[in-house]
Amino acid sequence: MMHGKFIKLFPLPLLLMLLFLGISTALQAAEPGVSNVADRIAPVGRIQLAGEPPLEAESEVAAAEEAVEPMAAPRPMRSNYPDIGVSSRAIVWVLAQLHLFFGALVLAVPLFVLIIELVGLFTGDERYDDMAHEFMKISLTGFSITAIFGGSLTLALFLLYPDFMAYMMHVFGAQLLVYAGLFFFETFFLYTYYYGWNAFRYGNKKWVHLSLGLMLNASGLTIMVLANSWATFMMAPSGVNEVGAVVGNIWEVMKGPLWNPINLHRFIANIAFGGAVVGAYAAFKFLSTNDPEKRAHYDWMGYTSNFIAILAFLPLPFAGYWLMAEIYAYSQQMGITAMGGILAWLFILQAVLIGTILLAGNFYLWAGMSRTDGSERYKWLVKFIALVLVVTFLIWITPHTLMLSASEISLLGGTHHSILGPLGIMPAKNIAVNLMLIVTFLSFQLYRRSDKVATVSWAPAGNALMVAIYVVAIANIIFLGVYYGYFTNTVYKVGSSVAQVVSTLVVIISGIIIDTLMFKNAKILPSHWGRIPDRAQYALFALPIAFTWLMGLMGYVRSSVKTHWHVYTVMKDNSPDNFIPAIAYAGNMITLVTVLFLLCLLFMFWVANLSETRQVKPVTAGKGA
Amino acid sequence: MENQVEEKLGKQMADKRKMGIFSTLLSVVIAFAIVLMLFYGLNHLIMGMQGLPLNMDLTPAG
Repeated sequence: MMHGKFIKLFPLPLLLMLLFLGISTALQAAEPGVSNVADRIAPVGRIQLAGEPPLEAESEVAAAEEAVEPMAAPRPMRSNYPDIGVSSRAIVWVLAQLHLFFGALVLAVPLFVLIIELVGLFTGDERYDDMAHEFMKISLTGFSITAIFGGSLTLALFLLYPDFMAYMMHVFGAQLLVYAGLFFFETFFLYTYYYGWNAFRYGNKKWVHLSLGLMLNASGLTIMVLANSWATFMMAPSGVNEVGAVVGNIWEVMKGPLWNPINLHRFIANIAFGGAVVGAYAAFKFLSTNDPEKRAHYDWMGYTSNFIAILAFLPLPFAGYWLMAEIYAYSQQMGITAMGGILAWLFILQAVLIGTILLAGNFYLWAGMSRTDGSERYKWLVKFIALVLVVTFLIWITPHTLMLSASEISLLGGTHHSILGPLGIMPAKNIAVNLMLIVTFLSFQLYRRSDKVATVSWAPAGNALMVAIYVVAIANIIFLGVYYGYFTNTVYKVGSSVAQVVSTLVVIISGIIIDTLMFKNAKILPSHWGRIPDRAQYALFALPIAFTWLMGLMGYVRSSVKTHWHVYTVMKDNSPDNFIPAIAYAGNMITLVTVLFLLCLLFMFWVANLSETRQVKPVTAGKGA
Repeated sequence: MENQVEEKLGKQMADKRKMGIFSTLLSVVIAFAIVLMLFYGLNHLIMGMQGLPLNMDLTPAG
């Protein structure tokens, strides 16, 4: 009885203890200082001729030579790349991108699930808990799919790029085993977190469950930053000399100049992407049922997903800006390849996709306002927000240089049109992006306010302050962009973009603070979940499609800036695909990967639904007779 | 007598409305003044932190 109770109470700590003991023993055994290979295989005695000094063991001589001359990066010839009849790059491209899409999804979902679970705990509203559990259910199949694509990618890389992979193994060494080991941790925490949801639901056990979620996220994020270090090493190698020989320790290899910008950018982007994908699931479920209760639930789920996606999306351009600034700081040539050459056109496509995301996100919020009667107070503002969004969107997608024939150039009077010239450069785009983000936040703020009536005495003053912040911030962003962007030198132009970002952040942060204080103890108007037009759900479908395409597109840019290098300036790519692919080809590849991902996603949704379905027992004929 | 009371009440209401408009206007003016100063200071601070000093009229001082 006691024994059974002990096992029931302590299986988790016991398992963790065993896991810890196992890993620490394994690490101790693998520690080079304690029992390295040379020590273990060194001969017991030494050979010495009479009257001669003792002979040095051959292995020691070799080791000394190796210590003096570290291994340089290999220089493979064209014949060293296996030819399997299909483009090696295309195979790796598809597998890597699909692995990344699913990896992003399964890393992001537990992050916001943990936060939703915490909200449920603090508010005591079990609906949050159920929704968080459902989000996990959707993503569960994604973990297996991520692993399948990850394994396939690894095999493909070893088969198609053996020299490159040998070099990467040499550079990263034991870090790769740490990476593999983290999967055990992640899997352990994933299954205990998901399957223990109802077993650890209340009281102190809930904290155990939240701790499992925290550990799941810690494992997932560590996996992400380790994998990021390989990508950033390929772009901006560190810890190696000019011929690629390792001269630093693993930490120096990992913390290259682009590592943290990529870490931050991917962390935020993953959350936005994960929110968009689960939003599509909610929309799919909303449209496929007529049950008002279920529609209300999935409407709420869709709203929460959109909230997560757009909120995470708001700071994303700033993280991207930091990444590009670091790329320019590391290598101006690489920066110009990205934003000044053939790839510059992709930033126009990026603008189109980001514009689509913001328009869809805003439209969903405006449509969602119909859930509350109090939204009538703010609806008049929607047309102005839409106007700003459309105008800034058009500015953002304006190219600087057009692809023109000689006759078109002569008709135009030059390569730059009088309007496209000023609107095609960064100051105009910086103004446009910041204004788009500000008005998107305004949509959010109005939506959040639409079911509340402030009761504090200082509400008019608070509103006046909020209006002033919006007006002055917008004026400041335009002033900074126009004055420093067009009438001063480049250094001030670049510097002013930071002040623009800060202006946008001031609006967002002060908006959150003012509303939190002003709507404390506010009168709450009734919300009718499920009272939203069906067409709003299509905005939730548009979000993950645009996000997926965008991630594929920017992944292509990130990888292409290395041009003809496997590892920039250190290891040349001599394969038949050692060139930046043409935009049309890249567009087709990205579309193919996006479609494949969406098909896999449909499979994931279908599997998630399958667990809820129970077949009715067939009635056999003649049973009752 | 009744007319006098109504007149008095109407005057009070109008005064109150005037006061309301006045206090709202005052709030708006004060809010704009504070926020303008905030962003002016912020521009100096952010540009200065990047080694790009500005003159009082926000023209580049470097």
